[in-house]
Amino acid sequence: MQRNLVGRLSRAGVGALCAVLFAFAGQAHAAAPAECSALQAKYPQFKGKTLTNAINPHTPGYEALDPNDPSKYIGFDIDLGELIAQCLGFTMAYKPVTFAALLTTLQSGQADIVISDIYATEERAKAADFITYSKVFDGVLVAKGNPKKITGINTSMCGTTAAENTGYVEVPLIQALAPQCKSAGKPEATVQLYDNNANCIQAILAGRADTYINDVNTVDQAVKAYPDKLEKATAVTLPYFVGIGVPKDKPDFRDAVMAALVAIQKSGAQSELLKKWGLGVENLATPQLVVAR
Amino acid sequence: MDLFLHYLGLPYLLDGIRFTITVTLLGLAGGLVLGLVLAAMQLSRIGPLAAIARGYTVIFRGTPLILQLVFAYDALPHIGIKLSAIGAAGLALAANEAPFIAEIFRSGVLGVDRGQTLAGQALGMTPSVLMRRIIAPQALRSMIPALGNETVSALKNSSLASVISVGELTLRSTQLASSTFDFFSIFFASGLLYLCLTGAIAAIQLMIERALDLDRASTRGGFWRRRRSPPVPTKPAGPTDLPPVFVPAPVTLGDRARRYDALSRNSTAVQINGVHKHYAEQPVLNGFDLDIRSGEVVALLGPSGSGKSTLLRCINHLEQWEEGEIRVGGRRLGFRDDGRRMNPRELAKERASLGVAMVFQQFNLFGHLTARENIALPLVWVHGATLADAERRADALLERVGLAHRADALPRHLSGGQQQRVAIARALAPNPRVLLLDEPTSALDPELVGEVLEVIRRLALDDGLTMIISTHQLRFADEVADRVVFLSGGTVVEDGPAHQVLTRPHHPLTARFLNVMGAGSALETVH
Repeated sequence: MQRNLVGRLSRAGVGALCAVLFAFAGQAHAAAPAECSALQAKYPQFKGKTLTNAINPHTPGYEALDPNDPSKYIGFDIDLGELIAQCLGFTMAYKPVTFAALLTTLQSGQADIVISDIYATEERAKAADFITYSKVFDGVLVAKGNPKKITGINTSMCGTTAAENTGYVEVPLIQALAPQCKSAGKPEATVQLYDNNANCIQAILAGRADTYINDVNTVDQAVKAYPDKLEKATAVTLPYFVGIGVPKDKPDFRDAVMAALVAIQKSGAQSELLKKWGLGVENLATPQLVVAR
Repeated sequence: MDLFLHYLGLPYLLDGIRFTITVTLLGLAGGLVLGLVLAAMQLSRIGPLAAIARGYTVIFRGTPLILQLVFAYDALPHIGIKLSAIGAAGLALAANEAPFIAEIFRSGVLGVDRGQTLAGQALGMTPSVLMRRIIAPQALRSMIPALGNETVSALKNSSLASVISVGELTLRSTQLASSTFDFFSIFFASGLLYLCLTGAIAAIQLMIERALDLDRASTRGGFWRRRRSPPVPTKPAGPTDLPPVFVPAPVTLGDRARRYDALSRNSTAVQINGVHKHYAEQPVLNGFDLDIRSGEVVALLGPSGSGKSTLLRCINHLEQWEEGEIRVGGRRLGFRDDGRRMNPRELAKERASLGVAMVFQQFNLFGHLTARENIALPLVWVHGATLADAERRADALLERVGLAHRADALPRHLSGGQQQRVAIARALAPNPRVLLLDEPTSALDPELVGEVLEVIRRLALDDGLTMIISTHQLRFADEVADRVVFLSGGTVVEDGPAHQVLTRPHHPLTARFLNVMGAGSALETVH
C-alpha cells in the first residue's frame, strides 16, 4: 500500500527527480544578489554566526527530511532560508518542533528565526514579528471521490470531521462555521487536532476524518503519494500571507532579514525557487511587516 | 517488507537510538540522585524536609511529563537558564522520574527487617555503616525489579522529548514518515528498535538479579561479598549439630550461697537509678532502680508488659528514657564528657566501646550475610579488625556454639535454634563485659530451646560473663541465674537469690506469677 513515488525513490537511491532537485539547489545557493555584500557591511553582527531556524518539518515541498539523506532538510522554505543566511553571511542550523511550538521556541530564545510555512496572522504577531514572502492558497484534501461533497470552508463542511494541526489558522475558520451550520439546521463541523501533516493525512486514510484543509502544495503532495485514495476537492484562498517569524525584541535582525528578502526577490531567486519546488510563481508576495499593533 | 527492512537498517533511525539512550540515561541518573535525596528527606523524619519532599512529589508526579519537558525547554530560558534540547529533556525526565524512584528506595529501605537495624545498632554500628552495610545491600536486592520497570518506562518516556526537538527515535520516525509517506513501515521499524532496547534492559535486569541472588553459590565473592569462602565439608545433620551436652558440676545450696556472697562484693557492672520511661502516655519504667555486680547472672522475670525488654534496651541505650541515669562500668550513658547529650553517631560509638552486647528474641541475624560473616564483619566495620582476624574469631565462636559446619550458611537456611546460637556468637565476638539476652528462647520451637539454653548456661558457668536475661524459663533461671529480679508495672517487686525467690517468694505478685508459670512442678529438685 505504500508503494508510492517516494518509496520507489528511496529504494532506487538516486531518482532522476532528485538529481534535478540537487542541481537546482546548487544553483540557488550560487545566486547571491549583489546587494548582499552591502547588507553584510551594514549588519556585521550576524556575519559568521550560526542562527537556529525552528521548523515543523512535516510539509514536503516546504520543509521535510530528504528521503534519500534523512540527515538533511529540504524544501522551498529551507532553500529560501539558506539564501537569506548566505546573503547576511550567517550559517543556518535547524530545530525540528511541533507546529504549535514554533513561536514558543522562538520566544524562549531556543531559536532565532522561524521559516516554516507559517501564516502571518495578527494573533501570531503578538508572539513574533513577521516578514511576509508568499501568498496563501489552501487546498481541500478529501478521500477519493469526495464522499461528503466538501467544497471548501463553508456549510458543506457541516456535520463532517476535519483533521488539522494544532495551531493552524484553518482551525478557527472551521469552528466559525458553527452558527451557519446551526441556522441551516445541520450539526457543526468537528475538528480533530494532530501535531503534524502525516497524522492528518493518516486520519483521512483511516477513515477518522473527512477532510484536511491546508496549503495547496501540501495537499497536492499527499494526493501524489496516495493517488488511489485521496484527492484535492477544491482550492480556497485565505486572506493571509506566509511569513518569516523573528523575535520581537530584535528589530535590527528583522530589518536585516527583510532587506535580504527584498534583495532576493529582486534578483529573481525566489521565483526560481518557487519554480524549482513546483509551487507556482503566482505565490510570490512582496515583503511586508506584520507586527502587533 | 523490504521497505520495513530498509528503515530498520537506516543509519538515520539507528543514530536516533543514541539520543534515546542519552536522554534515558540522563533522566535515570538524575532521577536516581534526586530520588535518593527525596527518599532520604522523607525518611529523615525531620518535618520540614519531609514536607518539602512530599510537595515536590505532588508536583512532579502529578503533572504530565510533556508539560515538564516544554517547561524545561521553553520556560527556563526566560529566567536565564538556557539548556540544550538534550539537557532540558534530561532535566525534565530526571525531575519526573525522581519521585517514582524515591518511592522505590523508600519501600526498599522500609522493607528491611527492623530487627536487623536494631541488631546493627546494638553492635555499635553508626547510622552510615548501618545504611551502607546492612540496609542498602538488602534494600537494593528488593528494588531491582522495580528499578528495571522504571528504566523501561524512562526509555519509553524519552520519546516525548521529540516535542522539544531532541533528535531521538520517535522524532526521527515521525519526520521521516512525513517526508516519505511510508508511515507504517517506519513505525513498525522504530517500534522494533524500541523493543530491542527494552528487551536489552530486561536482560540486564535479569543478569543483575542473578548476580545478586544470595542463594546462588556462584555469587559468593560477588556483590557485597568479601571473598569466596572455602567449601566446608558437610557433616551429616543430626545430633552432631548440637553443642556438646554440658554436665553441670554438682552445685549445692551451700555453694550457691557462697557464690552469691562473693559476687555481692564484686564491683558494680550496671547501675540503674530512678529511670522513668513512657511510651506515649503509658509508663513502662517507673522510677526503676537496680544494681548488677560483675560476673552476676540475673534473670528478669515478670509478666508481659512489665518492662523487661525495655529495661534491657535502655541498658544498651537502644531506647531513650526521660528521667534517671544508667551507668555501665561507672560510665553514664548518653552524655559526653562535657555533659552534653550524644548524637546518634556518638551513641553508636558509645555502644561499640561500652562492652554491652545484646541477643534478641527474634535472632535478628543479617539476612544477606552467612553465619561467619554475621559474626566477623561487624568486628571489621565497628572495631576495625582485619578480615582475617575477624574470621578466625568467628570460626572459633562458631566452633564453640557447635556450628562450625554451618559457617557458610545464610540465616534463612538455619533453624531457629541455630540462628540464635549464631546470634549469641555474634554478640560475644567483641568480648563484651555484659551480655543482655531478651527472651532468647521465646521464638523457638520447644525442641530447639534446649540447645540455646545449653550455650547460655556454659557462658555463665565457664566464662563468668555478666548476664542479664529476661526469660520465662523458670527451671533454667533456677539452674543458671544467681539472682532473680521480679518486675511488675515498671518497678522491681522482688529481688533476691534465684532459688529462694523462685521457691519461696515473699511478694504476692511474684507468688501468683510463679504459680501461673507452674513453678511448683518445675523446681522440685533442689541442688
